[in-house]
Amino acid sequence: MKKIATFATVLAICGGGLYTVIAAENAAEQPATAAAPAEPLVCFESRKGASEVTQRDLKPGWPNVKCSPTTGAALWYGDPFDGTVPMGKMPGLENLPEGHALVKPRSEKLALMPLCGTSCHNGVGPQFTPPTLPKDKKPTPIPTMAGMVPDLANFQHGRDRIWCLDCHHATKRNMLVDNFGDPVSFDQPQLLCGKCHGDKLRDWRDGIHGKRIGEFASDGKKRWFTCTECHNPHNVQDGLRNKGFIQLQPEPSPQLPKGMADASHEKLHPIPQH
Amino acid sequence: MAINEKTSADPVRQSAPACPAQPASADPSQAVLKTTRRDFLKAGGMLSMSSLMGTAALMAQSDDAHAAIEWAEHFQKNYRLMTAEEKAEAKARLERRYSGEYGKEVTVDTTEAQPGVLMGYALNIRKCIGCRRCVHACVAENNQSRGKDRPGEKIEWIQVLRMERGKFEQEKMNHGYPEGLGIQVGGNAYTPAGQVLEGQYHYNPEKVPEEDATYMPIACMQCEKPPCVKVCPVRTTYREPDGVVVIDYNWCIGCRMCMGACPYWARRLNVTNPVLPKEEMNPVTHYLGNRPRMRGVVEKCHWCLQRSRHGRYPACVEVCPVGARKFGNLLDPESEVSKILARKNVFRLKAELNTFPKFFYFYD
Repeated sequence: MKKIATFATVLAICGGGLYTVIAAENAAEQPATAAAPAEPLVCFESRKGASEVTQRDLKPGWPNVKCSPTTGAALWYGDPFDGTVPMGKMPGLENLPEGHALVKPRSEKLALMPLCGTSCHNGVGPQFTPPTLPKDKKPTPIPTMAGMVPDLANFQHGRDRIWCLDCHHATKRNMLVDNFGDPVSFDQPQLLCGKCHGDKLRDWRDGIHGKRIGEFASDGKKRWFTCTECHNPHNVQDGLRNKGFIQLQPEPSPQLPKGMADASHEKLHPIPQH
Repeated sequence: MAINEKTSADPVRQSAPACPAQPASADPSQAVLKTTRRDFLKAGGMLSMSSLMGTAALMAQSDDAHAAIEWAEHFQKNYRLMTAEEKAEAKARLERRYSGEYGKEVTVDTTEAQPGVLMGYALNIRKCIGCRRCVHACVAENNQSRGKDRPGEKIEWIQVLRMERGKFEQEKMNHGYPEGLGIQVGGNAYTPAGQVLEGQYHYNPEKVPEEDATYMPIACMQCEKPPCVKVCPVRTTYREPDGVVVIDYNWCIGCRMCMGACPYWARRLNVTNPVLPKEEMNPVTHYLGNRPRMRGVVEKCHWCLQRSRHGRYPACVEVCPVGARKFGNLLDPESEVSKILARKNVFRLKAELNTFPKFFYFYD
């Protein structure tokens, strides 16, 4: 009798617990489903502030991308070629079949692009014909420009050895500039970056440096990530660590082993420190 | 035997000679045979009757999809011994079952290894920033259990190890000598961190990469001589011709021999019933790859067979934000991995064990 009584009590407690859990889950689900259609889920791909993907269903239950609920990063690609265009002419990649090298256009994400080259730097004016450029590569800071591009206040790339017009075209400000002074599209920054970082360009072309997604065969259809999708061109090394990549929030850590409240045991160094 | 002798010597037994089971013959072996044969036949008859009834019951319920599937699954062969028809049958059966269970159209692929392909993997250890995006991409792709409440319910195949960065320091120049000996036998100005595979798996800083840390992701190395395959008592894990070590989950008995044998901590056991919400389940699966597993079977990384057999990069390669992960065909000299092997500094984890991993770590 006593046994039955205890059993019943345990059951009742479990049942009660279960009910509260289910109720809590339902409560958590309801606002999520209500909010979902309101605004589309956008997740960043490589670094925050560069290329992004908007989540949508390609077919029922098969999204083009899955985003991390913790960090908002792209976690899984259903369609690696979403929103891509052909890369264009790239020396060294002529042997690839037509349409097998794709990139995501960078210009869509650059908010200032439509203004550049039309409003302020339109390439006309007394000092541009013929262009008279400063000789010391130390431009006077223009508050408007520094306000629009915060990285310029403490410009890091090249450590004072390069300046704006080494990379940006002098008269066509919505273009970059290559070794020969010819304009280069913002969608093909590799043609510009390779001017100095030739070893990295070679590795990138061979797929050793940087990121490619799609088909792994060497002549397969791939989306190539261009330089500026991963690196911030104005501050590549990000100061803190010499890896060329901006710090970001990590995804959650794994489940703790059974019976462990935290992972402080991992911080004890197994080798005595001197 | 000892027990039998003891009972026969029991005085109570001896005082009851009228027992009907007493031997009629003088030869005890014959006598025993005779009486037990009757019992045996009786029991055998009962058993066969009951099993026939059980079979009949199962066959009669054949329109009940679940029972029929269970029935067929219990009697299917090891995947490597199945004929093409049996594979097709198993595929159709699994597709029907999973589609019912997860409420969407699930495909179970049985594509064989492609000729001329030997898959290889390379990871740039200098680039990794420890963001664990590969870990979670793997979970999104491969239908692992993702419960939160009970221990062992959350399964991840990739582990990212955070190791302290070692460095030479001027103030440590005199450290490392044994004290009181008077003889200098070798000093150590080096902070011995990062020299051994000891580090943190549960690190959780606000931002990665941390300044004083190096990160090392570890998963299945797809060895050419896999210790896990050697020890499997039911031969359910084996190396496929394209180099991937796979598991036929249906034949796994959950003995965990492979987990003990693997020097890379790559294998996971489903201790509990896997927790896989319907809406998160990936409906594109491979029989030897990411199809939903059951409780009590071992699973591990298989380089996303459901993708790579169709030419696509594995999920972890596609999400790595720094492009540290590289995947390709080792037999193609133009592939990424072949070029890394030709051009970069490459090492294999625990190479001294002669497991010959096809997973290479490299640095610029």
